[in-house]
Amino acid sequence: MIKLNINQKAHEIDADPEMPLLWAIRDLVGLTGTKYGCGVAQCGACVVHLDGEAVRSCVTKLKRAQGKQITTIEGLSENNDHPLQLAWNEVSVPQCGYCHSGQIMSAAVLLKEKPNPTDEDIDNAMAGNLCRCGTYPRIRQAIHMAAEMQKKGGV
Amino acid sequence: MSNSEVSRRDFLRVAGLAGTALCLGFYFPSNAEEAAIVNTSGSAAADFEMNPWIHININGKVTLFNHRAEMGQGSYQSVPQIIAEELEVDLKDIDVASAIGHKKYGNQITGGSSTIRSSYKNLLKLSATARVMLISVAATKWAVPQAECYAQSGHVFHKPTNRKFHYGELVEEATKLPAPKDVVLKKTSEYKLIRKPLKRLDTPMKTNGTAIFGIDKTLPGMLYAVVERNPRLRGTVKSFDDTAAMRVPGVKKIFKVKMLVFKTYREGVVVVATSTWAAMQGKKALKVEWDDTGFEHISTPLIYSRQMEMLKTSEGLFLSKQGNPDETIAQSANALDVVYQTPYQSHTPIEPVNCVAHYQADKLEIWGPIQAPDMVQDYLSAELKMPREKIIVHMTFLGGGFGRKAFMDYPHEAAIISREMGVPIQVIWSREDDITQGPHRPGISYRCQGAVENGMVTALKFRMCGQNNDHWMRGTKSNKANGSTSEGFLKPYYESIKNISFAEVQFETPMPTMWWRSVYASTNGFAYESFMDELALKAGKDPLALRRENLKDERSQKLIDRMEEVSGWKKRKKNEGFGVAITECFASTVGQIVKVSKDGNGKIKIDQVWAVMDCGWYVNPDIIKAQVEGSIVMALGAATLHEITFSDGLVQQRNFYDYKMPRITDIPPIDVYIMENEADAGGVGEPGLPAFAPALTNAIFDLTGKRIRKLPFDLKAV
Amino acid sequence: MKRKIVSDIKGTRILVVSFILGTLVICMAFGFENEPQPVAQLKTPVKKDSIASVKAFQQVYRVLMSPRCMNCHPSGDIPLQGDDSHLHDMFPKRGVEGKGLLAMKCTNCHQPENTKGLHAPPGNPNWHLPPANMKMVFQGKTARQLAKQLVDPTQNGNKNMKMLIAHADDDLVKWGWAPGDGRTLPPLSHAEFKKQWLIWLNTGAYAPKK
Repeated sequence: MIKLNINQKAHEIDADPEMPLLWAIRDLVGLTGTKYGCGVAQCGACVVHLDGEAVRSCVTKLKRAQGKQITTIEGLSENNDHPLQLAWNEVSVPQCGYCHSGQIMSAAVLLKEKPNPTDEDIDNAMAGNLCRCGTYPRIRQAIHMAAEMQKKGGV
Repeated sequence: MSNSEVSRRDFLRVAGLAGTALCLGFYFPSNAEEAAIVNTSGSAAADFEMNPWIHININGKVTLFNHRAEMGQGSYQSVPQIIAEELEVDLKDIDVASAIGHKKYGNQITGGSSTIRSSYKNLLKLSATARVMLISVAATKWAVPQAECYAQSGHVFHKPTNRKFHYGELVEEATKLPAPKDVVLKKTSEYKLIRKPLKRLDTPMKTNGTAIFGIDKTLPGMLYAVVERNPRLRGTVKSFDDTAAMRVPGVKKIFKVKMLVFKTYREGVVVVATSTWAAMQGKKALKVEWDDTGFEHISTPLIYSRQMEMLKTSEGLFLSKQGNPDETIAQSANALDVVYQTPYQSHTPIEPVNCVAHYQADKLEIWGPIQAPDMVQDYLSAELKMPREKIIVHMTFLGGGFGRKAFMDYPHEAAIISREMGVPIQVIWSREDDITQGPHRPGISYRCQGAVENGMVTALKFRMCGQNNDHWMRGTKSNKANGSTSEGFLKPYYESIKNISFAEVQFETPMPTMWWRSVYASTNGFAYESFMDELALKAGKDPLALRRENLKDERSQKLIDRMEEVSGWKKRKKNEGFGVAITECFASTVGQIVKVSKDGNGKIKIDQVWAVMDCGWYVNPDIIKAQVEGSIVMALGAATLHEITFSDGLVQQRNFYDYKMPRITDIPPIDVYIMENEADAGGVGEPGLPAFAPALTNAIFDLTGKRIRKLPFDLKAV
Repeated sequence: MKRKIVSDIKGTRILVVSFILGTLVICMAFGFENEPQPVAQLKTPVKKDSIASVKAFQQVYRVLMSPRCMNCHPSGDIPLQGDDSHLHDMFPKRGVEGKGLLAMKCTNCHQPENTKGLHAPPGNPNWHLPPANMKMVFQGKTARQLAKQLVDPTQNGNKNMKMLIAHADDDLVKWGWAPGDGRTLPPLSHAEFKKQWLIWLNTGAYAPKK
């Protein structure tokens, strides 16, 4: 049995320690906000936080994730009110929406480490997340907005 | 808001409220464009054909059955915005339920940028009709003239006395009224919601993981399936060895399947397991011997050399012709004859195709990211020999579609695997499956000929040689030209250029092809608008001035004014390259101007894109801007980053490492402007795409004198 | 699972190496431009042989400039990728410690082991680039430049002779010979590389003329 701590909740799952975290989260734990897009760490749709880092769950095996704090998009905030979630809504960032769990989870690490990111910081943090609908200009806009909200609201 | 699904049973449960809910629907007499509006409140339970499109219950809650897929284009927002306007309710009081595939909704394919343009008049009328009925009930109750009453925020008010009724209080009486005819619709100037940049209603679901895409759908007892398909697309399975694969923990069953590719088939071996990963591991351990007898092992260089050969010798099938372009070109001392080429492309929605099916004795239920539920019903009904109404197709959110998810292969796979297994099945394609198996946008060569006399364009002759998507859809070759192969061309040119012809030189390969965002316009635009630039040079004209001279109608003139104004076209500097292109598709015209310069290393850098959209009547300007931004990003990738190539009959790309996508670091500033007019609504999801590539290459020509006639090209290598 | 973090011991290295720094700089200053020259006064006893040393380094150089080694010793702050050493897709940056930046840290994708499959991320418990304050660039360096750099503690990660010798058996260096699916190996076997590396160092670590 593998013990996982996902969104502050303990899960015990019967799975191969070689299984990527992505499929355990989706198919075994049933949290489907984290998405499959490429399976080889190319697109970023599967980003979750592992001890606060924006890891790609499609290549992160259960044996690495055991005993660590895993946060998925479902656990980013209680009420969909992380500054990034609020800003994403304000700017109407998503089109199809499929990649945005990963986009937001990557952006959350950016904002944690750089509360006032420049455009260059956004490039450095976000160039690994693909969006086929092309919402990039709005992602940039929303990250700047979230940084402002964070500053004002002290979130 | 919730994206609840409505199965037939659920629907009947809803319809069970018929006595206390006002249900209005359309009735399409013999598929007429203009729908008749009917009060289906009483008949809904009895007559399934008369389902409502909108349903108002005694609490005043409005449920809208969205007949089209939401794949990012915003139907989830724009359709309620239309309803709320004429019904006079708050947007938050509207629930959107995805309708199932059903003939009663008319054509349901989400394609051709048609969601709004094909239905907005009916939706406005339907909502206004409901409002008038509710007002009439209130007026009767108060015994006052209807003219003294008005509706607002889900209430009917009596102006002189300030009395009011909640809609819910009026519903029961309204169900007994016939739907009035010829209600008066609001004028554009009276809109309170339409034409406002309201925030999308589906965003909150898409920021916390609660939006349910096809891949997220689960059913009790569901198993996961992946398929190893013949890499040569239409070959068969000679034999397979599943010894190692069956040893993978979680793998339940492995068997051969024969799957639809439009109206032909491909064979593969399916691995069914308890998780997606287990199935994928099983697939890796599988050994399959393929038979591709009769399948031509085609390569990309061969495709283009054949097209070039055919364009030299064949006139093709005429799509349209006016005047005598051949003679004009032959007699001209200023004739041009050049070839443009565009690549095969993959749709690669980030959500790969997937589908859940539950095949039962008396029915088949399908859930998935599906652009065309009615077409899925048609195909599966024929394939599985099952009555159409026994096939229930639910549309989830689509994680991108771009044309790929209007195809019926993956629901067919899920259905036949579920039939074999006797349990619900989710079939998932890997990214590699998606990119290698297609169907793809066809690669095309264009021979463009034209003539210029005294600074005026006197003739245009376009011949395209590339695969015909219609042949795949129909399953047979036809001797008729595919009408859509000249999409993208601006109709006003016919007024000013006396001699024009378009022809399709038919070309076949074994590779299945399919609509890709903006379809043939996505590539035609590059040929037409690059060629227009070459003619401008020949005529000694400024490229924008040449278009102004030849596009004389009022809408084009205004569009060009706007393009010139926002881009500062006339004030451009020496070290800046400006390029223009204007294309039309799906009843909307988009003009784009791209500005380029050289960076410190002498490499081309895109500094700015200005796009002006004329889509006539519209709902939400912010969604239009988002769609145009996204179209430009997609066009940037297709023009400069990726292409599908074939070698030995195999697709050579596999995943995002060799089919590279634009990233946040690649995106120039994009400004989108919308023309204001009262013309009929045009499409929004696709028309922003075709003009980008030619505007970019025209800008590069303006800066460097280098003419790019083949896509994709490497921006860094120019 | 606890990953071992080699760079943690960097602090102790600085102490060890700093005292030999002065001598090195002096020795290097005596070199003649067109002659093979010992680039370091090494503490371990060596039998100086400029011909054998340079010959060995030519072999070492081939390995170090192969994609498996050079890709993580780029001239810029973005690692290289693939057998053609193109800029790493998605442009991850070095960061202060060489471990990436923000939402693009190396180990977000690179696991403690190679991920199976073509183009899947290779891995090692210590996957990183040289740190920002000592970039140890290989890309674009001539054999002469690289040889000099390798024995200069101000440019080699503060390595003394003992550490340089040990470096041939570094876990991340050895990854180069087990790089995962689809990646070509360096031009020499690891044993041959180590042999040539030791010959080069033990014969005086001479730098080639060019």
